[in-house]
Amino acid sequence: MPEIFIDNVRYEFEGKPLVLQFMLDQGLDPPFFCYHPSLSIPANCRQCYVEAGTPVMNRETNEWELDEKGERVIRFFPKLMTSCSLEASDGMVIKTQRTSELVERAQKDTLEFILVNHPLDCPICDQAGECPLQIQTYKYGPEGSRFEHKKVHKPKRIKLGPKVILDAERCINCTRCVRFTEEISKTEQLTIISRGDKNYPAVAPGTEFDDPYSLNTVDICPVGALTSSDFRFKARVWEMNQTPGVDVTNGKGCNIDVWTRDNLVMRITPRFNPAVNDHWMPDFGRDDITRLNENRISKPQVKLDGDSIKSSWSNAEMSMAEKLQEVKPEEILVIGSAFSSVEDNFVLNKHFSALGAKEAVFSPFIKEGSGDGFLIEDDQYPNTNGCRLLGLKELSPSELEASIKESGVKLVISLEDDLVGRGAVSAAAFEGKFFVYMGSNHNETSAAADLVIPISNSVEQSCSFVNTGGRIQRTVAAKETMYTNRKLNLEMSMGRLDRYGTKFDNWVSDRNRIDCMPAWEFLERLATLSDQQFGYQTTRDIIAEIASVNEKFSGVNYDRIDDELGVPLISNEQEAKSV
Amino acid sequence: MAVDWRNFEPLLIPKIPNLHKIEVFEKHDGYKQLAKVLKEYTPEKVVDEVKAANIRGRGGAGFNAGLKWSFMPKPDGKPRYIAANGDESEPGTFKDRQIFEYNPHLFIEGATIAGFAMHIDAVYVYIRGEYKAWIDMMQKAIDDAYAKGYLGKNIMGSGYDMDMYVHSGAGAYICGEESSLMESLEGKRGYPRVKPPFPAQKGLWGRPTTINNIETLANVPLVIKNGADWYKAIGAESHPGPVLYGISGHVNKPGVYEYPTGMSINDLIYEVCGGMRGGKKVKAVIPGGSSTPPLRGDALEGVCMDADSLRTAGSMMGTAGMIIMDEDTDMVDVLWRISHFYHHESCGQCTPCRDGTGFLEKTLIKIRDGHGEMRDLDLLLDLCTQMEGRTICALADAAAWPVRYTVTRFREDFEKRVKNTVYALA
Ligand SMILES: Cc1cc2nc3c(=O)[nH]c(=O)nc-3n(C[C@H](O)[C@H](O)[C@H](O)COP(=O)(O)O)c2cc1C
Ligand code: SF4
Ligand code: SF4
Ligand code: FES
Repeated sequence: MPEIFIDNVRYEFEGKPLVLQFMLDQGLDPPFFCYHPSLSIPANCRQCYVEAGTPVMNRETNEWELDEKGERVIRFFPKLMTSCSLEASDGMVIKTQRTSELVERAQKDTLEFILVNHPLDCPICDQAGECPLQIQTYKYGPEGSRFEHKKVHKPKRIKLGPKVILDAERCINCTRCVRFTEEISKTEQLTIISRGDKNYPAVAPGTEFDDPYSLNTVDICPVGALTSSDFRFKARVWEMNQTPGVDVTNGKGCNIDVWTRDNLVMRITPRFNPAVNDHWMPDFGRDDITRLNENRISKPQVKLDGDSIKSSWSNAEMSMAEKLQEVKPEEILVIGSAFSSVEDNFVLNKHFSALGAKEAVFSPFIKEGSGDGFLIEDDQYPNTNGCRLLGLKELSPSELEASIKESGVKLVISLEDDLVGRGAVSAAAFEGKFFVYMGSNHNETSAAADLVIPISNSVEQSCSFVNTGGRIQRTVAAKETMYTNRKLNLEMSMGRLDRYGTKFDNWVSDRNRIDCMPAWEFLERLATLSDQQFGYQTTRDIIAEIASVNEKFSGVNYDRIDDELGVPLISNEQEAKSV
Repeated sequence: MAVDWRNFEPLLIPKIPNLHKIEVFEKHDGYKQLAKVLKEYTPEKVVDEVKAANIRGRGGAGFNAGLKWSFMPKPDGKPRYIAANGDESEPGTFKDRQIFEYNPHLFIEGATIAGFAMHIDAVYVYIRGEYKAWIDMMQKAIDDAYAKGYLGKNIMGSGYDMDMYVHSGAGAYICGEESSLMESLEGKRGYPRVKPPFPAQKGLWGRPTTINNIETLANVPLVIKNGADWYKAIGAESHPGPVLYGISGHVNKPGVYEYPTGMSINDLIYEVCGGMRGGKKVKAVIPGGSSTPPLRGDALEGVCMDADSLRTAGSMMGTAGMIIMDEDTDMVDVLWRISHFYHHESCGQCTPCRDGTGFLEKTLIKIRDGHGEMRDLDLLLDLCTQMEGRTICALADAAAWPVRYTVTRFREDFEKRVKNTVYALA
């Protein structure tokens, strides 16, 4: 196998990797700015320099030429090479800043130049704390500045589009944002204008950066030049916890990181998954923070004389139990939800089947033609395939409305899905029925319900979803509810604030912890009344059971989902759509 | 070795009235070389002949044109291009303009021969936008050549097709750099490309492309007419041929002069240009456009205008756009002006060039305005080291060299201007 020597360490490689990517793959830490593994290579930042040499081949013997000591003669390139654009070749010798003073010096020089016109406003910059420029300056930069002149001034706070704001002075002209719109989202809305140290990215006059993927440029901008108009100045990165999750606003199931501070979701960013979303996600998936934080149902609610009033959990359990006593099992309609997790749907179905009810139904939410063939699918819900694989009965909206209206149905139980709001079912359909809605947000459906059970959403519990590609992926609890605790749930991340924040800290507020519990947990509590509980402690127990009773899920568990970034349950995409 | 320049008759721009008219050009053997090539030569033979003649690129780098042509891959039936570089933006350079004005058909003929040699489908003539009048002259010449069948389909009945288009630049010096010239032709921002791949592998629209300077291509018919050996006998041995010297500055008769390569700089100043204005002494000579290191006026003895001699003297041939400066010249001002140009023209891709050119200029302004300190001179040289050889294209080098060599060769001018902040410890 071909070999390459990096700082005197031998590595083997396959194919024709680029030296910078190869070093990254080996866990080395080369400094760079403009390179991005999913974009073309402009080699413009000039930060990733290495010294590179190749062994000299004797043309007659076709063997490496050796010196007196029997070592290979290496011919070094006369100039420093940018490792991002350098292809590895057999026998290549690379010296990085660790072994080459020249490289170390050159990297320092580049940083000096970048900083010459950089405003150095880290204290008020959103990027601080996760800024490659800041990090690399600390690691490799010059100690001071020799620049005693006026910096170039450029426009600040330019609204490029509805979501992205540019501070042109902070821009280091890496062109990542421009290349993103050219190569990934293909809207070509951004370009660099002007020349030399006056240049910065801009949109064409009269247009705006309304690319449905625009916020990805904020993620890949290596400095704080591009900021998100929603997240700007909201939180310092070191105050937040970063927790892996899944985007539930679309069937694609983009992998995300959920950033929370004091149990509020501050922002959502894409998490790399080459099999699903690479490094990207659509903007609307990030807007989900509003739904996750606001307008939440906290504490159960019952309808008394037409008014919804808050009630205690035990009262809610009692009235539910009473209702179940009143009706015959065949008078219950159980509606699952393609918006809810595999676990919740499974336990819902199992619970009511055990009582003798008919199998749960669900109605997918698909907007034909709204997909874009990239990361936006027609399917608006994250778990349509999960419901299908669990064997829930799939109904069209009109069929669902008809079954609700059936005179034999007295009790309707629906798992989180704004059936009324999304136009699947009319509110009138529930008239004359006892309607129990288990949901996390107030909406038109919860308004129609006689009993509302507040349940945890996808960032308040670990749970899984099967995306349109048939891949099961899972979330991790990112945000505490009244009944969960970071310090006890070892899966939850702990930030500085969680560790050291006190009740007297400005940031810390118990109000952000919602009085809700996962749907499956509520059902388990309900089951204690009839002594029918299934004994689940966590969703891990549930997925283990699903894997053992449903062969479509065989072999699935959270560890595997974590290690393999999701597990494909349906092999080909066509099949996935038609299950 | 002295070059016999006194008996030299101009070849690129011969003194023939109305030569820019196609009928006059035809009368003086015009397009005969093209006819000869189309009839008698194979493409390989043309490449070999031009390679043997060692026409060194007149655009600045001085690369053997025929050798460059030989890098073109074998034809595969898909389009191949020549980009003829008439961007001519390097300060001190104004010689391609003479060809556009006085002998455009020589260039067209040369480019068509080159096209035949490399199986080219189209030649793009890239001319700086400021040359509006010359763009029109060139367009007229091309139209005439089409009308006479020297361009277009089935050129002179040979079965060879080739088109030629004029493209106007939009005022960026960087678009003279070959790869950003191609970007510009493709309608993109003039950002130089990362090499490899080289233009012969992946040029215009991803197809094999050769970039040559206008003057380089105008030399081709001369080689075909009289042979490589004849051509090699003109001027300096390692850098042969006629060359257009564009001389500006404090001489009595500035202008574009055609003479053999290898002429001594002193002959050019005192014989050709009629000496220095007001009989002043020469202080500095920039031999080939503002990016080439300036030579001191007191070190010109024996220095000739060819690559070898200039390398020995510590400079380069560049575009042979010579700027002559007399003893009253303030080198701080000169250098500031040059640095201002490169600062203004950096495309802004590479960090060292984008921010280095500005750093250089601002430091020079500080010195020019009398606020400089001794340490600023070292800083300037340091910045040059931080820029040279570290960028995508050669603009950063072009910006650094004049600074490095002006500061080191004319240090007294700079020391006079800066505050001496280095004190002896008592
Ligand atoms: C910054 C920069 C500007 C240049 N400008 C010109 C130009 O205006 N005209 C030109 O012929 N060559 C220019 N060149 C050189 C071209 O890149 C290229 O080497 C030349 O056109 C090749 O032609 P030749 O081999 O016939 O000289 C420039 C190079 C650089 C780096
Ligand atoms: S705005 Fe950011 S991503 Fe875009 S070029 Fe500037 S530094 Fe790069
Ligand atoms: S060296 Fe300067 S002009 Fe050339 S590509 Fe880099 S930034 Fe642009
Ligand atoms: S990463 Fe920017 S030049 Fe290599």
